[in-house]
Amino acid sequence: MTAADAPALSRPSPPARRPGLATGRLLWLELRHNAMLWMIPVAVALFWLITYRKSMAMPPLWYVRAVNMQTGAVLDFAVPVVAAAAWMGSRDGRRHITDLVAVAARPRWARQLATWAATTGWAMLAYLGCVALLYGVTARQAAWGGPLWWPAAVAGASIPAFSALGFAAGWLFPGRFTTPVAAIAAFFVLALTTQPIEGSQSYWQVSPVVAHPWDLGADPGVATFYHYVPDLSLAQVMFVAGLTLATLGALGLPAGSGGRWLRRSAAAISAAGLLAAGTGVALTGTGRLDAQGMITIPALHDAASDRPVRYTPVCHQDPVPVCLNPAYTIYLPAVAAALGPVLSQVAGLPGAPVRVSQAAASYHQGTGNDVGVTMAGPALSGRPPVFRLLLPGQLPSPALTVSELAAWVRSDYGPEIVASVVGAGPGGRASPAQQAVAEALDAAAGDRLARGSEGPSPRHVRASAPCGPCVVTGLPEPPGPGTPVFAAARRFAAWPAAARHAWLVTHWAALRAGRITLAQLP
Amino acid sequence: MRNVTNVEITSLTRKFGRTQAVAGVDLRAGPGVFGLLGPNGAGKTSLLRMMATVLPPSSGRLCLLGRDPGGYGPRQEIRRRLGYLPQALGYYPGFTVAEFVEYFALLKEMPAPRVPAAVAAAVERVDLSGQAKVRLRALSGGMLRRVGIAQAIVNEPELLLLDEPTAGLDPEQRVQFRSLLRSVGQRATVVVSTHLVEDVATACTEVALMDQGKIVFHGTPDELIARGVGHGTGDAPLERGYSAVLAAARS
Repeated sequence: MTAADAPALSRPSPPARRPGLATGRLLWLELRHNAMLWMIPVAVALFWLITYRKSMAMPPLWYVRAVNMQTGAVLDFAVPVVAAAAWMGSRDGRRHITDLVAVAARPRWARQLATWAATTGWAMLAYLGCVALLYGVTARQAAWGGPLWWPAAVAGASIPAFSALGFAAGWLFPGRFTTPVAAIAAFFVLALTTQPIEGSQSYWQVSPVVAHPWDLGADPGVATFYHYVPDLSLAQVMFVAGLTLATLGALGLPAGSGGRWLRRSAAAISAAGLLAAGTGVALTGTGRLDAQGMITIPALHDAASDRPVRYTPVCHQDPVPVCLNPAYTIYLPAVAAALGPVLSQVAGLPGAPVRVSQAAASYHQGTGNDVGVTMAGPALSGRPPVFRLLLPGQLPSPALTVSELAAWVRSDYGPEIVASVVGAGPGGRASPAQQAVAEALDAAAGDRLARGSEGPSPRHVRASAPCGPCVVTGLPEPPGPGTPVFAAARRFAAWPAAARHAWLVTHWAALRAGRITLAQLP
Repeated sequence: MRNVTNVEITSLTRKFGRTQAVAGVDLRAGPGVFGLLGPNGAGKTSLLRMMATVLPPSSGRLCLLGRDPGGYGPRQEIRRRLGYLPQALGYYPGFTVAEFVEYFALLKEMPAPRVPAAVAAAVERVDLSGQAKVRLRALSGGMLRRVGIAQAIVNEPELLLLDEPTAGLDPEQRVQFRSLLRSVGQRATVVVSTHLVEDVATACTEVALMDQGKIVFHGTPDELIARGVGHGTGDAPLERGYSAVLAAARS
């Protein structure tokens, strides 16, 4: 500490300030010493454990994977980001450095924004890395379609909001306990915002953790056959961006934050933020579930997004083409193998489907949060007839493997395909002969009868299995062992396939009309 | 330069609830080292905080560097040309010495291109060049005090306010610090609040003694020493002057 050896003091020349350079340097210092750096591993670990692993266990469909950015990643990042931001916001108070920074010429608001920006910057970098990982892997696995950016955008837009809220909490209450309290509060607030949701017109859907009609979940049928409807995402982005602006603007309002011009700007920003957030909430309240399973908001809705997505189905040709949306390509072999035995029994018969094609589901809001999922129109339609099916709502996931999917399709649609050919009879009730033939064909396809009373028939399985988009067709109960229908079915099934096929070709019209009796069956 | 009045205070008061910390202080100071003495609770720190524009006065007039800090614009201009070391120096433990000083240089809105050289110079002036890249958490209390002084002088202030700057410094550092004060005081107004009368005796050109929120003495160190001849108690001449003035004020 010397005066003689030190560089001579001289008055600074008239300040040639370069605010950009100074701000950049300040930001760099804040980046180097930001608590978010320590929280990045926590956020990434949470993302890996909670969101990434769960996503990878789900089918490689863009919608199913992308919505996890909202339902999972938002929570993964919210807690660490709020904690880091609160820690940074309370820094001056905790470090008893308020007097020193108070005499700085740089407005307090500008300094706060630099600290907030550094915290947010690190959080966004980590988040974008997680998005890149999840989307990159999905891009490699997905058979069709492109990245769905809206859920990632909503989650990304929520990070600055969490950072701003945490920072404001830390600045207002600069204590050591502010950080854990703010982090815990953020978790519970986010988790609890979904609790009051009731129906598709709930204002609470503005919460960034809501990516789809609540209780419907990430249904894979959504945004595959129709374009993703970004209405709710737009309202959510509006809300979280408004929240960010309102909070940051509020930081600049107190006396001492800056000059009159700066404080007026802060007030304007805060007001604009509040307006945007309020508009987002209000718009969300006008949402309704559309038939494609997404929330539409009339004021934001673009009718163009209602058009079906054009695609060339992927088909398995033998014995009757089974065609799926290309997004489901990896399930085609399993579905075709499951339906193949049944289709081989009915192939060539009058009225038999010439193709099995995957259909889009139709969604409708029930009471409360119930969402009904059905297939619009009959299963068998067109000339020549095409049999349309829905794949189970819960595709291979932690609860359903590919083999389970195949068994499910076989048990759900095999009997229905047979019934659609044999006919349900007048009044929707199958005649004994129709029942016997249907049972015989099912048996020939390798299902029940042979098992007799040893196990449930596919129709029984269907009635008890977890059901996604089930199609109610009113299939009759299978005949019990010892009944005339059971005996006739066993007799008919025992016939050679060619003879059985020839008989059906000859008698199809009468059988379908319900004019064949059990006694007339061979 | 010597004719410039950097600090002009008239009837300045500051109340904290019912407590009157500063009670009608009048003060004028130009370039030089100005010592502010007084017992604990005399109001030195409150006066210094008002001069640092941290604390607004309850009443009275304050003019710093020819400007009224009541207005935002003039206050910002004062702050650009101000150096302040508070009594309790807070710091960011993860910052290095150079980063901490640079941080405050940027907060003082120094032109960015000049910052690196100014930081290096300030760090060198407090004899911490060897520790420039050491994190603050690794420094001793005395070194931290020197870092605080470095951040205060980094913008080559025209008004330097130091609250107990030598607390924690070893004798050698205190000698060097006084030398630094004299150097800065050649062109700037340095106000040093201290309990250590030897700092005042060796470095200050003017001295004020505060008691119960009022200035009870204002003059040169020699004048204060003269007040103590044959009256005060203490080992050093200045201490005797200090105690004599205080005793007279309280009687």
